[in-house]
Amino acid sequence: VEQPDAIIHQPVRLKIMAALKALPRGEQLEFVRLKAIVNATEGNLGAHIGTLESAGYVKVEKDFNGKKPRTRVSLADAGARAYADYVAYLRSILDGEGVPIHAD
Amino acid sequence: MSLSPNEAADALRDIAAVETRSHRLYGYRQGSPHLILWGVLWAIGYGLNEPWPQQGRAIWSALVAIGLVGGFLIVLRSHAQRANRTGAKPRIYWRFPAIALTGLAFVFASIAVMGPAGGRQIGAFIPLVVAAGYAVMGFWLGLRFTIAGAVLAALTLVGFFLLPAHFSPWMAVVGGGTLMLSGFWLRTA
Repeated sequence: VEQPDAIIHQPVRLKIMAALKALPRGEQLEFVRLKAIVNATEGNLGAHIGTLESAGYVKVEKDFNGKKPRTRVSLADAGARAYADYVAYLRSILDGEGVPIHAD
Repeated sequence: MSLSPNEAADALRDIAAVETRSHRLYGYRQGSPHLILWGVLWAIGYGLNEPWPQQGRAIWSALVAIGLVGGFLIVLRSHAQRANRTGAKPRIYWRFPAIALTGLAFVFASIAVMGPAGGRQIGAFIPLVVAAGYAVMGFWLGLRFTIAGAVLAALTLVGFFLLPAHFSPWMAVVGGGTLMLSGFWLRTA
């Protein structure tokens, strides 16, 4: 991978993709939980999810849970591939330099 | 739009942290209904065990069967919803029944080897095994499982040693209540 995906490159969108990728295929994440995981404001998160949805990277489902409106987001197949490519791109940068990675 | 190695390393650390958190919250969400279900069944079981101790075996056999079928349906529903969204083919969900059967076999074998045991001893042993299971699960799935297991074990031991005359009502209220509250606590994560 020579150039990063411009859509995923944005930090909040990268975190959204990472949060969704951690789930089993097809699993949805509620908007409020996603907001807590990526630590974003509601408006900011909504805008970034819109960008990812337009790119076909995520699927958004809106319904009502009782009387409360609910928005749920899941990773699309195209998004899973784009995310994998982006992570490969990041690793390729490190592989060239030999910088170790340790997840906390 | 290229990144330096340090920026790439930071980005990978960030996404690893987010993936860990997302996975943990998913585990909490999946575990929550099981804890609530078993909390209700424990409350009923220990509650009925007090006035009808002679019927204990029949009561618990029925409740364990309900719990296993209920747990299996919870897992099945979750898998079916995912399969609907992805268009995946139906699979054989063998893990949940396999785990349940392994647990039951372990408990019955332990009681047979360690026996003869009284109703109060069996009534404490099984919650301690369950508590240990949750505590160990927590090492992979998140601290809240471990805390729930530790609290359940501690309260079971308190009831067993300090309140032997009121053990069944203690476990109905405190044991069942701990499981239910833990289930709701997982949902709030």
